[in-house]
Amino acid sequence: MTSPATARRRLPVLPIGARPAVVLTLASVAGLAMFFWPLFVAPTPEATAHTADAPLVFVLTMPVLLAVVLAEISSGGIDAKALAMLGVLSAINAGLRPLGAGTAGIETVFFLLVLAGRVFGPGFGFVLGCTSLFASALLTAGVGPWLPFQMIASGWVGLGAGLLPKRPTGRAEIAMLTAYGILVAYGFGFLMNMWFWPFTTGTDTQLSFVAGAPVLDNLHRFAVFTLVTSTWGWDTGRAVTNAVALVTLGPAVLAVLRRAARRAAFGAPVTITPAPPGAPREVPRALTTPPRGRP
Amino acid sequence: MRALPRSVHPGAWWLWALGLAAAASRTANPVLLVMILAVAGFVVTQRRDHAPWALAFRMYLVLGAVIVAMRVVFRIVFGGGQGDTVLFTLPEIPLPHWVAGVRLLGPVAAEQLLGGLYDGLRLATMVACVGAANALANPKRMLKALPGALHEIGTSVVVALSVAPQLVESVQRVRRARLLRGGTVRRGLRGTDALRGIVIPVLEDAMNRSLALAAAMASHGYGHTGRTAPRTRALTGALVITGLLGVCGGLYGVMGASTPGYLGTPLLLAGLALAGCGFVLGGRRVTRTTYRPDPWRGAEWLVTVAGLASAGLMYLASRTDATSLYPSLAPLAWPEVALLPAVAALVGVVPAWLAPGPPRQAVRP
Repeated sequence: MTSPATARRRLPVLPIGARPAVVLTLASVAGLAMFFWPLFVAPTPEATAHTADAPLVFVLTMPVLLAVVLAEISSGGIDAKALAMLGVLSAINAGLRPLGAGTAGIETVFFLLVLAGRVFGPGFGFVLGCTSLFASALLTAGVGPWLPFQMIASGWVGLGAGLLPKRPTGRAEIAMLTAYGILVAYGFGFLMNMWFWPFTTGTDTQLSFVAGAPVLDNLHRFAVFTLVTSTWGWDTGRAVTNAVALVTLGPAVLAVLRRAARRAAFGAPVTITPAPPGAPREVPRALTTPPRGRP
Repeated sequence: MRALPRSVHPGAWWLWALGLAAAASRTANPVLLVMILAVAGFVVTQRRDHAPWALAFRMYLVLGAVIVAMRVVFRIVFGGGQGDTVLFTLPEIPLPHWVAGVRLLGPVAAEQLLGGLYDGLRLATMVACVGAANALANPKRMLKALPGALHEIGTSVVVALSVAPQLVESVQRVRRARLLRGGTVRRGLRGTDALRGIVIPVLEDAMNRSLALAAAMASHGYGHTGRTAPRTRALTGALVITGLLGVCGGLYGVMGASTPGYLGTPLLLAGLALAGCGFVLGGRRVTRTTYRPDPWRGAEWLVTVAGLASAGLMYLASRTDATSLYPSLAPLAWPEVALLPAVAALVGVVPAWLAPGPPRQAVRP
């Protein structure tokens, strides 16, 4: 029997090597810039003439960035067990998402993402965040320009959950994860609001961003905008859902995920050795004869 | 001659829809925008099949209406009263200083309302074009067309899409088992107990299912990818990292004021191109065959060209005659439509007649 302490020392499921880490960092910097551009954009005549185009450039850039990062993380090859786990957990997340969509602010997608990121490590958490939202968008026909931005934001949520300190166990662990869950609920809402901000208000209301104004000034305007539109309703609802789900279901779900990780024995090397030359080849006859009707 | 019914490559529908969206992004003329909306809607009704995602278009129209309403309401509440033609005046509510000195309501001008309406309508049209692509393109076939470097991620999404319906069945089985054991499934004070009694078994079931699936995949030879030469790997890494550095620099250039022009969009595009080369090169690692690949034939070219022609003609119009694309707000004037933009808006309708129709539902004997 393995104690929880040794279980936690296990290798992460999708280890991020040095090169993918560099790529992920660069892409995250570029991604954050594409979320926060209204705060920093300069008031040059050329830029204001293209203010309407700037979001479009970013909308085209983000999918490419995301594809490059995901390709880089999976460049070492994802083994079958990790891939099946990724698929099944994405399906659960995608299935959980519409549960709350109708009710104000009850968002259930992050709770399992945080726990899975904690158990399976940062790389798995990042990819799971992306695939969950992608699968959910495909199931509900919700593919659009916002999707890559949602994907990378929820990827960061899973990544952060995997990077939390390893030490705490038991109640301390649940308390830490709950605090993190509340934090990311507000953080995700903040990021997505920042992305929608130029689209929602346009450029000429009192709550719109002013290109070239001091950062704090624009941040102030944005704070009013986000308080008015969503912080009290959606984001608080999401935070409460996260906290309640993590406190009530967290310990049991963590146990289930850890048991699965132990049984799957991720990281155990798989070697394929060729059969000795004298051994009979066990190939069915049907496969060795060419099918009829073809040259 | 009528083309045989078959499903058109999803990539073609996406290119068509993106072309229409790009055309819509070039104009704020409500007449042109409504024409593009009508084109997208007509093609969707003519060429969608009976799959569940084909009903998504209506949802996007509702979303577009919400966008327009939001824009107009924001102009009324937070508009700050710009414009001369005041339609009516609402009582002003000054807010305290800490909310950025915002003043609510106040006089509402026609320029302000129309500006919000045009802007919102442009965004709503672009969203509706995306919705048309969602309704027309088959997402499962789209996943098949993912490039090689994303093969594994695509496979896991395929797993997710096919496991999702089984979860419903799993939930029902667990509930039935609970009832048979004399447990409760009702909500209320003991709701969390019941929730835990359902969530944990379903999750455990799903974990077992994933291990069984992994065993099945391994026994079918999944994951036996070819090896890449170290030089190729190094080249891929160098391309990707240089490209991303270029993207970061380009973004800085796009937003900055004092940066020279060549550090902006050109650097961004060069960075994206480099990273894309690395992406394609990295994808060579995966060699695979596709079961029943979607062909790219004349119909796909036709659909793509129709969308891109719409974008191209609208761009041409914005270069030659930009005034007809942006109706004047000061002084207020009725929007007018010139010939070239109208053709650009309408050329996207061609696939409604010339693309092959959706395959009929198979009739079971």
